[in-house]
Amino acid sequence: MVYFKLKQLIVIPFLLVLTFNAIAHHVLGRPSYSLGEDSNTPPSMQVETQLGEYYITYMAFPAFPKPGESGRVNLYASRIDNGAPFDGKVIFKVRDDSMFSSKQERLGIQDVDDGVYRQGFIFKEAGDYIITAEFESGGEPYIIDFPLRIGDPFPIGPLGISIFVIAFVLITVNITQRKRLARVKATQHHSDKASTSNN
Amino acid sequence: MIDTLLDYINSFVYSTTEGMVHPGLAAEWVLTVIFLMFTISVWKISRHSSSISSAKLPKISIAKISWLGGKIQLMIVKPWVLVSFRIISAIVFVLVITAGLFGTQIAERSIATTLTWTLWWSGVVISVFFVGSAWCAICPWDAIATWLVRRRLWKRGDELSSFNLRVPRAIRNIWPALAMFIILTWLELGYGVTTSPYATALLALFIVVLATISLAVFERKAFCRYFCAVGRTLGAYGGMAPVALRPIDESVCQSCKTLECFNGTKDIEPCPTHLVMGSIKQNTYCTSCGSCTQSCSHQNINWQLRHVGDEITYSSRPHWDEAWFILGLLSLTIFHGVTMMPYWEDWMSNFAYLIGDSGQLLTSFSVAMFIAMFLPIVFYSICVSWLHLIIGRQEEWRRIFSAMALSVLPLAFTYHIAHNLSHLFRESQGFLSVLKNPLGIDVQPLSMQEVHMRHMNPIVDDTIVFALQAFLILFGFWLGLRIFQQRLHSLDIPGKGSKKVFYLPLLLFISVISMVNMWLLMQPMIMRM
Repeated sequence: MVYFKLKQLIVIPFLLVLTFNAIAHHVLGRPSYSLGEDSNTPPSMQVETQLGEYYITYMAFPAFPKPGESGRVNLYASRIDNGAPFDGKVIFKVRDDSMFSSKQERLGIQDVDDGVYRQGFIFKEAGDYIITAEFESGGEPYIIDFPLRIGDPFPIGPLGISIFVIAFVLITVNITQRKRLARVKATQHHSDKASTSNN
Repeated sequence: MIDTLLDYINSFVYSTTEGMVHPGLAAEWVLTVIFLMFTISVWKISRHSSSISSAKLPKISIAKISWLGGKIQLMIVKPWVLVSFRIISAIVFVLVITAGLFGTQIAERSIATTLTWTLWWSGVVISVFFVGSAWCAICPWDAIATWLVRRRLWKRGDELSSFNLRVPRAIRNIWPALAMFIILTWLELGYGVTTSPYATALLALFIVVLATISLAVFERKAFCRYFCAVGRTLGAYGGMAPVALRPIDESVCQSCKTLECFNGTKDIEPCPTHLVMGSIKQNTYCTSCGSCTQSCSHQNINWQLRHVGDEITYSSRPHWDEAWFILGLLSLTIFHGVTMMPYWEDWMSNFAYLIGDSGQLLTSFSVAMFIAMFLPIVFYSICVSWLHLIIGRQEEWRRIFSAMALSVLPLAFTYHIAHNLSHLFRESQGFLSVLKNPLGIDVQPLSMQEVHMRHMNPIVDDTIVFALQAFLILFGFWLGLRIFQQRLHSLDIPGKGSKKVFYLPLLLFISVISMVNMWLLMQPMIMRM
């Protein structure tokens, strides 16, 4: 009975950890309040980064899109040396960032529009995705990854891992210590018995 | 004339920047501090041969204060008071984790980030100035780990609940805590944990896991003693605190044969960091957990009031690992200030361009952090070598390095507080609204107008913040020199009382670091959220 309970204690948290997707946070975007987009005050997620010869600003609208809700990614790229905006073509792709998933598809190829590349999207399923923007300049490929969370994140992942690790350590310590105590008692009992029979 | 000079200095210091910045320390305060620093230096050197015995310094046990002693004594010998605080602290901690994992990811609207980084992380260092390492007594990491492992709310746990192994000799020091402090700083400033409620919650959870594993594997509270960056920081600064747990009557401890403070009792845990109250000389490893006050059969332990900085000046024993921890604290607090200057991002960007880094520029940040960490340490080593040379090498270099590091601690402590005052007073506006909606349900990011309003209405007037910052820098300088003077007398140098030249190396170090700290405070500082 005790063995069964112990087994349950170990197996259930372990299954919980395996079942739920890891939540990836590759780049920490800063939610900000961007005026002048489609509506007058949509919150956005913005990342500023530097890559090779370019400063790149990436924005996702809305900041926390829901499944079935349309959204858009904006990309600005300007040269570090003279501030000139990039004006070639940019390819936008998306891949599922869940554990054990390799789904990937192309969102579209965009031309510059007033210095900005705009790519719309609608995701049907909640999950973690990586949006990739690719372009070429000066014979060099440029690839920018941007994490996008669709729907609310599943929070059991880190909690599950923590509970599992703590439960595993505590159970291991407890079992080992109890076994050790039993061994000590048995040894003591034998030595007591031996000394009594000698007497 | 003075106005022109001040205008000139201000135009040299301030630069036009984008975004919201906190104003830097005004030039008139800086000039006043520089003048007073010069006066203190001359005065200290002219009185270079004087040394004071620590035995002559007044210390008062709170137990002996008639109107207060009895009440405090009652509170510290009863476990329920501390347990109540620990429960409250653990509930708040669970709220932080919940908000970080389940709540809004807008940093300035989440209690996970605002409470952790703006209030707690800024306030906990300031709290040392008033209550020493009292935070450790109600630390939720340790409280939760203890409840999980010992399976008791306050009573002594079952021996079988832990392997009770000794910590391996190689890490029986505070190098692990220093490594953890470096990692925490990297996560905070480089990875940007402070602006992510999710990452903040993960970090908090991770530390609970570490504390629990440590308690289940090692004897007593090895995590608090050797690994915890926050605890060791508070412990190091605790040497300057005006309060500490100490025997009420030292003769009672001297005649004590049972040592309940060290061994514990049937119900009360032993000292988590292996301290014996009868021989305690420094607060570095005291976690104020209350085990000694509760277990002492003579009820002979209580809070003691003493002068700020007396312990570190007279009774702290210098150790090699602690000296490095102090220098690490100094370097990283200065680095903190540097990263919040408006120029920092441009510097990082140019540096990244130079070395071909891309993305979040984490490589550039890590290299810059490494360089920034080692610059003050290299400068300190040069000054110690100079002192070693002029005193005729009678003392070991390593001993001088360790002893003189104590005089560096006030510089780190006072700058740390001065810097944190800006965060605490200028960024905690709006915390009440976060408290009303801790998970940030249906909130929007701060509008530019709200950011502007927060920026324009700090909870404490700028003049008061400037005055406190100027006082702290001056106080750190004075205390650093005082400790150095006393530590120099404790070295085994013939004619140490008669040569003013012995003062030069560390006076140079303390002055330069104080000036750097003040320069950093003069810079406009970028708002964290």
